[in-house]
Amino acid sequence: MKPFIALVTRHRVLAVIAFLLVFPLIMPYSALAVNVLIFGLFAVGLNVLFGYTGLLSFGHAAFLGVGGYLTGISMLSFGLPWWLALPIGVIASALVGLVMGWLAIRTRGIYFSMVTLALAQCVYFIFYKAERWTGGENGLRGIKVEPVQMGGLTFDLLNPLTKYYFILAFVALALWFVSRLLASPFGAVMETIRENEKRAAACGFDVARSKLLAFVLSAAICGLAGGLRALHLSIVPIDSLHYLTSGQAIMMCLLGGMGTFFGPFVGAAAFLLIEEGATNFTSHWQLVTGVVFIVFVLFFPKGIWGSLLERMKRS
Amino acid sequence: MSTPILSAKNITQRFGAFTAVNNVSVSFAAGKLAAIIGPNGAGKSTLFNVLSGAFAPTAGEIAFDGKDITGVAQHEFARRGIAKSFQITNLFPQLTARENVRVAVQMRYSRFAIFTPRAKFTEWADLADALLERVGLADRRDRLARDLAHGEQRCLEIAMALACEPKLLLLDEPTAGMSPEETMVMMQLIRALANERTVILVEHKMKLVMGLCERIIVLHHGELLAEGTPDEIRSNADVKRVYLGQGPSK
Amino acid sequence: MDINLFLLQLVTGLALGSVFVLLALGLSLIFGMLTVVNFAHGAYFMVGASIGAYLYGLTGQFWLSVVIVPIAVGVMGLLTERFLVRPLYGRGIDYPLLLTFGLSYVLVECVRIVFGIDGLQMGTPASLRGAVNIGVGQFPLYRLFLIVATALIVVALWLVIEKTRFGLIIRAGARDPEIVRILGVDISKVWLIVFAIGTGIAGLSGILAAPIRAVNPEMGIPVLAESFVVTVIGGMGSLVGAVVAGLLVGVVYSLTSLYAPDYAEMSIFALMALVLLVRPQGLFGRAGLMS
Repeated sequence: MKPFIALVTRHRVLAVIAFLLVFPLIMPYSALAVNVLIFGLFAVGLNVLFGYTGLLSFGHAAFLGVGGYLTGISMLSFGLPWWLALPIGVIASALVGLVMGWLAIRTRGIYFSMVTLALAQCVYFIFYKAERWTGGENGLRGIKVEPVQMGGLTFDLLNPLTKYYFILAFVALALWFVSRLLASPFGAVMETIRENEKRAAACGFDVARSKLLAFVLSAAICGLAGGLRALHLSIVPIDSLHYLTSGQAIMMCLLGGMGTFFGPFVGAAAFLLIEEGATNFTSHWQLVTGVVFIVFVLFFPKGIWGSLLERMKRS
Repeated sequence: MSTPILSAKNITQRFGAFTAVNNVSVSFAAGKLAAIIGPNGAGKSTLFNVLSGAFAPTAGEIAFDGKDITGVAQHEFARRGIAKSFQITNLFPQLTARENVRVAVQMRYSRFAIFTPRAKFTEWADLADALLERVGLADRRDRLARDLAHGEQRCLEIAMALACEPKLLLLDEPTAGMSPEETMVMMQLIRALANERTVILVEHKMKLVMGLCERIIVLHHGELLAEGTPDEIRSNADVKRVYLGQGPSK
Repeated sequence: MDINLFLLQLVTGLALGSVFVLLALGLSLIFGMLTVVNFAHGAYFMVGASIGAYLYGLTGQFWLSVVIVPIAVGVMGLLTERFLVRPLYGRGIDYPLLLTFGLSYVLVECVRIVFGIDGLQMGTPASLRGAVNIGVGQFPLYRLFLIVATALIVVALWLVIEKTRFGLIIRAGARDPEIVRILGVDISKVWLIVFAIGTGIAGLSGILAAPIRAVNPEMGIPVLAESFVVTVIGGMGSLVGAVVAGLLVGVVYSLTSLYAPDYAEMSIFALMALVLLVRPQGLFGRAGLMS
């Protein structure tokens, strides 16, 4: 088992992409696979901050939402093509992350979670009220993606499986970036902040600025997830901005295993499959999710993937 | 006396209504091994925290190498060449000993590089290994910091402090909680380190300090009680009174 | 500018703020003692409102309901602390937070199952209907009652904390749990009781707010964010801060909704951002309490 683990850890990006390539084949239907992909990326973004830097943000819905809205608004109100709109969404998320992070890093610990939650709610209300641009309560509707021409090939995004692989291309790019980030010198700084903030400062690292950089990068990744979600759903629901959506990403991170590279996808798949399974026999699926989450917090805080890794390493 | 490497002028530190350090002025000559001692509650740790930049003093000034550093951020202290080890062991518990030191070494070279794999910078790891060797932890480098023995953790702290190539090393009770053997090892290490740079330690074990340091500063109730060589301190009437009043020192 | 309208809106803000005060008090009390932020606080508020509306509908007894609800919700809090939060002590500050967040999901669904997804209506009790002239205009009696009731609860809480032995233990424990141990008190029992009191107050604020809010399973969701705003402004763990910030937030919200209704929701967040810039530990927070 150990050589296998070593191989997977060494080529973690390739391993995850290989898995995601065959993933739709084992899912009941493609739309669910796309959801796992997008929420997995969202959770990966959060994991950069929560799992690796040790900052529990309850405000990351703001980045999913802003990424989605700005991608959508760029296309709907300004008629920009999707490939220009998507980076605009990402940059907008990063900028919102800069402002939110700048305010939130003044606080620490639990305080940080509360402040990020509240700031995200503020973003929620701003988009809720700016009805002319955002569609207010109804969400942003009517985002259309024309078939994409790339290298002589045509991708019709109405086909769910095509859409899955189209989105996977971006997710793969993001994963490669995250993997580089985690392996970089700055990745080490992030870990030191998670492990011991005081010591990190005594070593000479500017903790506040490092946190802010991690916050902004994490926001940008979540913004990409939001933009892709807008292309996928062709609407941006106002709920994407709500703190409950941040909570979902947190649950996914924890279910999968925070601070692990593959965990967020495992968590996203687990969360969405529980939701899918539970809705089949009850309208109160949130009860099931809530109880499962509580059980994980109490008994399996390392999550599914984290616990598996631990066991395989030991055996 | 030449310009001191570190000088603190009229340092006062209050916490609410409580004055922990009251109008203390001290200076430390370059290249010397000095100690700050005093009974419990004398304000040693508070003074240490002020000198090492953990917090800015309520009043007073600190100068390092002739430059004013009062109120400068904690991380700036390390960059300017003042390193410290904490009284309570303060490491990155879930990282290996080597990674603990490697990241401390990294600070001098790279702080915000987000894209180049750090494994490429083998010289950082080499420097870290050399430091681990120096403090006698070479064979422990792949252990997680939290799994090391207490004495080893203290040595790791010192390796991390050395990683930023400090001109001044501040040690807060480096032998706290150590066995007699571990204490001996640590004292030898401190003596060796003091040959190359200025070292200031905070201690309450008076015996240890007497045999080790060239200069001693005694605090009592947050104020400067005495200052001098071990012999001067030993014969100082005020010091005797304070320590005898408290019972024999450890 | 109509000065009477302004003053009337100001009093409306105080009534609104009263609910915030109670919410923040519960949150701060728990945090001050256990350094746990209860993310199910909004859910307990909602549970209090729902049980209250149900009881009042069943019995027609407002005062009885006001007594039963905080006890019922407090007992739920008791069970939460004992069986869910307690196993997590010493495991890092994030875990109780995550757990209570999950718990809020469960509580919302339980209320949906028990009381239905549409929620309940709670009318104003007969004895508190109508309006009274408060000098600057007619003001609803129930809202006036809210202000007075909150004031009484705050005074009662203050008396308990300042004048009783239990209060002494709370004050000591908030500074250093070790002191409480030295006093020979079982700190885990104190934590249990404080958690119950904190959630009980959340439930109480729920039933008190029920006649002026729509009672439904989702009502606690925005309330959680609002009570965080109040706590951050007032300063974590500070009871004085909870009172001042609660009233301040109520007044700011209510005045913005008079002059710039579109920005009412945003105004309280802007206020919080301002406080974070000027005084990150909150108006009455101690700097050391932030981690």
